[in-house]
Amino acid sequence: MNKKLFAFNNISLQGKISSIYIITSLFVCLVNILLILGINRMSKELELVYLDNLNLNELSAALKDVQTSMTDYLNAKTSDSLEEYYRSSQDFLMLVEELSDDVSGTFYERMKRNIKHMSAGYLEITDQTIEAKRGRNVEKYRVRYENAAQLYDYINTYINNLNNQQFKYNSENYTKLTHAFHLFETFGIGIIIAVIIMNVSMIVKLVGTIISPLKDLSKSADEVANGNFDIEILEVQSQDEIGVVTGAFNQMVINIREYIERIRHSMEVERVMKENELMMEAHLKDAQLKYLQAQINPHFLFNTLNAGAQLAMLEGADRTYQYVQNMAEFFRYNVKKGDETVTIREEIELVDNYIYILNVRFSGDIHYEKKVDKSLMRVEMPSMILQPVVENCVNHGIREMADEGRIWVSVYRTDDVACISIRDNGIGMSKETIDKVISGTYREEELAAGSNGIGMDNVIARLKLFTESEDVMSIISEGKDKGTEVIIYLPVREREEDDV
Amino acid sequence: MEKSRNKKKNYRGYLIMTGLLIATTTMAVIFFFGFYIRRFTQKSDTNQYDNYYIMIAGDTNSSLWRSVYEGAYEAGLSKNSYVDLLNDFFENGYSREDLMRIAIASEVDGIIVGADESDEMTELINEAAGQGIPVVTLYGDNTRSERCTFVGIGSYDLGREYGREVLEIAQMKHFSTQAQDDETQVEAEKRPVRVMVLVNAYAQDSGQNILCSGIQETIENEKQEGMEIELSLVSIDGTNTFSVEESIRDIFMEEDLPDIIVCLNELNTVCVYQAVVDYNKVGQVNILGYYDSDTIIKAIDRNVIDATISIDTAQMGKYCVDALTEYNTYGNTSQYFIADIELINKENVSLYLDGGDTEDE
Repeated sequence: MNKKLFAFNNISLQGKISSIYIITSLFVCLVNILLILGINRMSKELELVYLDNLNLNELSAALKDVQTSMTDYLNAKTSDSLEEYYRSSQDFLMLVEELSDDVSGTFYERMKRNIKHMSAGYLEITDQTIEAKRGRNVEKYRVRYENAAQLYDYINTYINNLNNQQFKYNSENYTKLTHAFHLFETFGIGIIIAVIIMNVSMIVKLVGTIISPLKDLSKSADEVANGNFDIEILEVQSQDEIGVVTGAFNQMVINIREYIERIRHSMEVERVMKENELMMEAHLKDAQLKYLQAQINPHFLFNTLNAGAQLAMLEGADRTYQYVQNMAEFFRYNVKKGDETVTIREEIELVDNYIYILNVRFSGDIHYEKKVDKSLMRVEMPSMILQPVVENCVNHGIREMADEGRIWVSVYRTDDVACISIRDNGIGMSKETIDKVISGTYREEELAAGSNGIGMDNVIARLKLFTESEDVMSIISEGKDKGTEVIIYLPVREREEDDV
Repeated sequence: MEKSRNKKKNYRGYLIMTGLLIATTTMAVIFFFGFYIRRFTQKSDTNQYDNYYIMIAGDTNSSLWRSVYEGAYEAGLSKNSYVDLLNDFFENGYSREDLMRIAIASEVDGIIVGADESDEMTELINEAAGQGIPVVTLYGDNTRSERCTFVGIGSYDLGREYGREVLEIAQMKHFSTQAQDDETQVEAEKRPVRVMVLVNAYAQDSGQNILCSGIQETIENEKQEGMEIELSLVSIDGTNTFSVEESIRDIFMEEDLPDIIVCLNELNTVCVYQAVVDYNKVGQVNILGYYDSDTIIKAIDRNVIDATISIDTAQMGKYCVDALTEYNTYGNTSQYFIADIELINKENVSLYLDGGDTEDE
């Protein structure tokens, strides 16, 4: 059965649909044949109902022939009638012998038995009568004839009665049979209707079975069309056309999924490559910086300057000594604190040194004033922040103006924020320039004279990294020749040990 | 995956079930009809019997004969013999003699005939015996013939039963007439109680004669002093169809009605009963009936008939078949079989009314 079903799965769609049609047709055909056979048999039975009556009529006719021919012979003694008598008595005898001799429980059978015996007796008497007639024994044949006539009468009555009764009985049977026949017809129609209903439901069911993979396929195809590739792979239930299409569809879905995976993978690779590129750039920058730092050996410079200071002291040149000492301090700061966090105090001291150096260089052009909240002196900040800002003030703000330049440095607290303000009275800045500086897009010409190489963008970037916030600096300038104020905002984070 | 497998399984089951259902239904219908047809085309009783006996009844309309036939039929079946009531085969009213001839010509294994003493019957019985067919005379005998057995009732005993019953009724009548005479103060001569026995016109029935003499002797011997009983025999012409009823009506048309009417067969009893009712003579004419058919039993219950005779018909039928079987087996059998009789009157009628056939009690 399993094998058979397997075979059904393996045949084509056309084969399947045809086989359904053939099977159901065969069903109907088979049932019809059976019903027709049944009807045929019943009509045969109907024909047979009156067979007994026909036989009895025949018997009666044969008996009559015997009696008539005997009477004819007795009347005229013609050889024709004698011949007729022998022939008819032979016929009658044959018919009589067909009757059963058994004592049956059936009424008609017993009647037939009696008729058989009586007929035998009758034939005996008629034979005797004929014999007597031939022997011209008048008295004898007359008596025999009377006997025969009486027996003839009895037999005839017997047959008629039997015929009547059987006819009655057969008529009843006929009615019953006809009734049964009609009943059978009704049943037959009922069966055919039932078969048709069953066939229809079977066809619906079978076609449904054939179509259901197609439905599944269309549902899946709809899902895929809506962009959902994450569907279950359909089972290939049969080897017909639908099975082939389902298989192809499955392969297609698998392929599409593979392509998507591949694209995703290459995008990932590209992203990693871009990241690498960026890292390379950063490293390059770092290397550049290291290179710049390496250009001057601070220790050498610092020791050299120290030697110069001692020489100046030995020669009694106090101002020179002071100057060189400040220089030495300035560079030592650079060497020592290059990449550490420092306190505001240390940054302010550096600014002090720087301005002293500048004032020596430019013969006291710059007026420097500072106003410091002592409680904030130990607040931490990145190194090399204030000096580049002051350097900018000097380079861009003060140097190009005719009047004497002024620089005000103040440290104060606003809420929890320590503010360091560096203000000059220089040429000021335009709004665009301020924006460019704050956003880090402003590029001054590389390494201006007297600069230690640290630009504003670097300062801002380091402040942002240190404070982990965007709001680290604001630049205020009220216009041309109105000076510039740079304010740095720092979170109040104090250093533990007192570093004097 | 599982679901689809189930689906397949369902579908396969469905296919098989549908096929089986259609096949079984069709087969069932066809077999049912085949059986149905065969049931009435093939005759129900297909047994074969060893012997075939014919019964020829004196009067097929009477339930007595029917009942005897039933008894014989049942007894026959138990001995694998079939008994037919030949009268039933013909609707054209063949006489007993005709039926005898037919039975002889049919070469049956035995004949049971309600005979009489006529010469023709004797001749026919002898003819049958000559052909080796044993004949049992039933109820009516033909003593001169070569019949092998007579099965009947003890006519003389029956006569005595009737005689006693007549005496009882006569006594009652006697006293009641005396009382009536006293009341009405009429000086009347003692009137004899008149008893009329309805006999078959065919007086050659020996049983009937014996019965009559039984009645007569009983009355003579047992009647009380001073009671006069006048016994008369009236022939009822039973030779023609319907003549019995007419003859009995004739009696009632006459002025001088008997006090007691004794009927010696079932038909006479029913006719007299109906006549008494019709002529409003209930109580005036007492009836002694014959046989215990339902009509007669009911009439006793209603006080129209005084008494009747119950005959063990089943026993009679059985005796007939037994005699024939015995004769066919041993070539000889007892000459007489006498069936039991019982008197039914007002006192014991309830037994027969309620219980139906309680003859054995």
